[in-house]
Amino acid sequence: MKKINKVLSLGLALSLTAAALSACGSNSGNKEAESTAGGSAEGKTKLRIYAQYSDEDTKGYYDYAVAELAKEMPNVELELEIQAQDDGQKLKTYAATGNLPDIFNTGLDLINVFRESNNILQLDEYVDKFGFKDKMLPSALNTLYTEDEHVYAFPYAGNEVILLYYNKELFEQNGVKVPTTLEEMHAAIDAFKAKGITPLSIFAKEKWPDVAFYDIFATRYNPAGISALDKGQAKPSDPGYKQAAQDIVDLVKAGLLPKGATNLNYDQAAALFHEGKAAMFVNGQWEIEASTKALGDKVGYMYYPAPDAASYEANKMAFSGGGNPGGYAVSANTKHKELAAEVASFMALKYAEFKVTKKGSPIVSTKVEKAVEKAYDPLMERLAQDLPNITSTTAFAWGLSNTKFKAAIEDASQALLSGSYTADQFIADLENGMK
Amino acid sequence: MNKFLGNKTAILLFTLPTILLFSVIVMWPTLQVFYRSLYDWNGLTEGTFIGLDNYKRLFEDRLFYTSLKNGIIFAAVIAVLQIGIGTVLALTISNKMVRGRKFLRISYFIPVVLSVTVVCQLWLAMYNGEYGLINKVFEALGISYRQDWLSNGDTAIYAVAVVNAWQNMGYHFALLLAAANSIPEQYLEAAKIDGAEKWKAHWKVTIPLMSETYKFCLVLAITGGLNAFANMQIMTGGGPGTDTYTLTYMMYRSAFRVGEYGYGTTAAAFLIIECLIVTFAINRLVARERIVY
Repeated sequence: MKKINKVLSLGLALSLTAAALSACGSNSGNKEAESTAGGSAEGKTKLRIYAQYSDEDTKGYYDYAVAELAKEMPNVELELEIQAQDDGQKLKTYAATGNLPDIFNTGLDLINVFRESNNILQLDEYVDKFGFKDKMLPSALNTLYTEDEHVYAFPYAGNEVILLYYNKELFEQNGVKVPTTLEEMHAAIDAFKAKGITPLSIFAKEKWPDVAFYDIFATRYNPAGISALDKGQAKPSDPGYKQAAQDIVDLVKAGLLPKGATNLNYDQAAALFHEGKAAMFVNGQWEIEASTKALGDKVGYMYYPAPDAASYEANKMAFSGGGNPGGYAVSANTKHKELAAEVASFMALKYAEFKVTKKGSPIVSTKVEKAVEKAYDPLMERLAQDLPNITSTTAFAWGLSNTKFKAAIEDASQALLSGSYTADQFIADLENGMK
Repeated sequence: MNKFLGNKTAILLFTLPTILLFSVIVMWPTLQVFYRSLYDWNGLTEGTFIGLDNYKRLFEDRLFYTSLKNGIIFAAVIAVLQIGIGTVLALTISNKMVRGRKFLRISYFIPVVLSVTVVCQLWLAMYNGEYGLINKVFEALGISYRQDWLSNGDTAIYAVAVVNAWQNMGYHFALLLAAANSIPEQYLEAAKIDGAEKWKAHWKVTIPLMSETYKFCLVLAITGGLNAFANMQIMTGGGPGTDTYTLTYMMYRSAFRVGEYGYGTTAAAFLIIECLIVTFAINRLVARERIVY
């Protein structure tokens, strides 16, 4: 009896353990089988794609491209995985577990990481095969090739720029001159503060606008701005970079920003500008559509103010922002390399097409021959005229290639806007972060 | 029962599934943290063995000291507020003369069951520099003490810690209330006969008898504070700048933003050691003798 009991308890314990473990195992097994199948259902090839699809804007691009894909390549079915705003964490985890989607939207930092770990497919062969280079705008070729002269992603975004928007009506009503120098900027701050108007709104909780704001001032001293720091061509302690930090510290102390600026998200910061409560606003050129909708022809953009009139004129057309290699990339481990590359290139072309024809923006990487459906906003018309005259661009935070510098400048430039930070601390933190 | 406990095979068999799961889910990753902290590793490739270089770098990193300091401030604030206020509330509710005890007991516990995101969003609105409730209260009282609570590098870490303290205070309250209620009434009656006032009796009798619960609360609060991440991730993103970084946040930055998983695990390894030392110290210093009624 004792023996039987022992055998029974042993059997029970083992079967429970086995059941628990097999339950975990079989679930994940099935999932893996499904996700890596890539097989054909009803003669279609299924490809996993990792793309932005979290708001009306990004959904518009994706849905348009997928609808076009269904017409052109009916043999392909895309399985969407929505891109997370997580510094590429999800993609890196996928790569580490050998589960990278066939096609994924990526920036330069991840291209560099995946290139090192052989997770990303080099697309040179397909660029030639699909004639993608001929479809590129000559001015946007910098978004196709990385520093090693190879292609890892099909770009679509083009050379976007940072604009310093302003509310023309508020400036006129309050008799404030649109600033061209720092002195005039301080005068504008004083004038607006006296009227209870926030001088400048920025969604500084996200760190990339903070980097762009620092870059605006840094480019007045060195047109290469943060790009030169990223590439090691300049040091944070160089006089111009330190002075740019000091300029921001002085402006913030003078009352440039609303209370709690480093905790404002886009909706809160944009609302201040759109409702006429803030006189200036910092964002990329894609903001033109939303600002025009809210403010009509009252919205304009100014060239960045500089330390003096001479440097203002000299660097007037040196813009912050710019394009970097990035776009739709292909996993090195996909079972359908050529097909995935073809779909990735198609998606990139259609994204550019959507932006030009439906979003009223000419800033793309590739040529678009289809007729424009949404006329350019007047401000976009003006930018389109400025674009050929731009003398230099730099990079957005997401286009920086040195990840240590990227993290350091994101943190330090946000601290600059807090009002309790000095230019010396800024330099020290940047140098510490880049070690 | 004794017969069963004498059967070592049965004990082993019944504990094996848990030991296996614990090993796989807790022990193996912990060992990996220490192992990987010796590597220059980006999380994807094999990595290069660099010995203690990551630790050397960690101790030279300004961000490490900012993070360490913030972790200590955070832990201290939540320990003082959660245990301090938790004690006052627990002793008040344990008094049978207090009306609406059941309602109050449930009310104090509600924040604990709320999602941390909900709580942080609530406090974000209250802390708002322009139209937040806290500044408005100061304004209504005619006090010119409007603060940029979360955007000021000097106040941000305290402001974030208060949120965590508020949310989890109910948990400590529940533990302390259970401890207070479990003390036999004759001890307090004896104190009363000796002429002790209510609060003096609590101070001399109830609180000392709750020392084992305090030990547990202290371990929870301090290690929870040193490990803090979610509140700053949601409320400040570690900012302004790096002013609300903790070691967990530094680990997140190194691993996921910079792609230096090896260095990130070094911060994590330090955090594990720090928590173990604190837990050990609390266990050695607080309530060393077991209280049996």
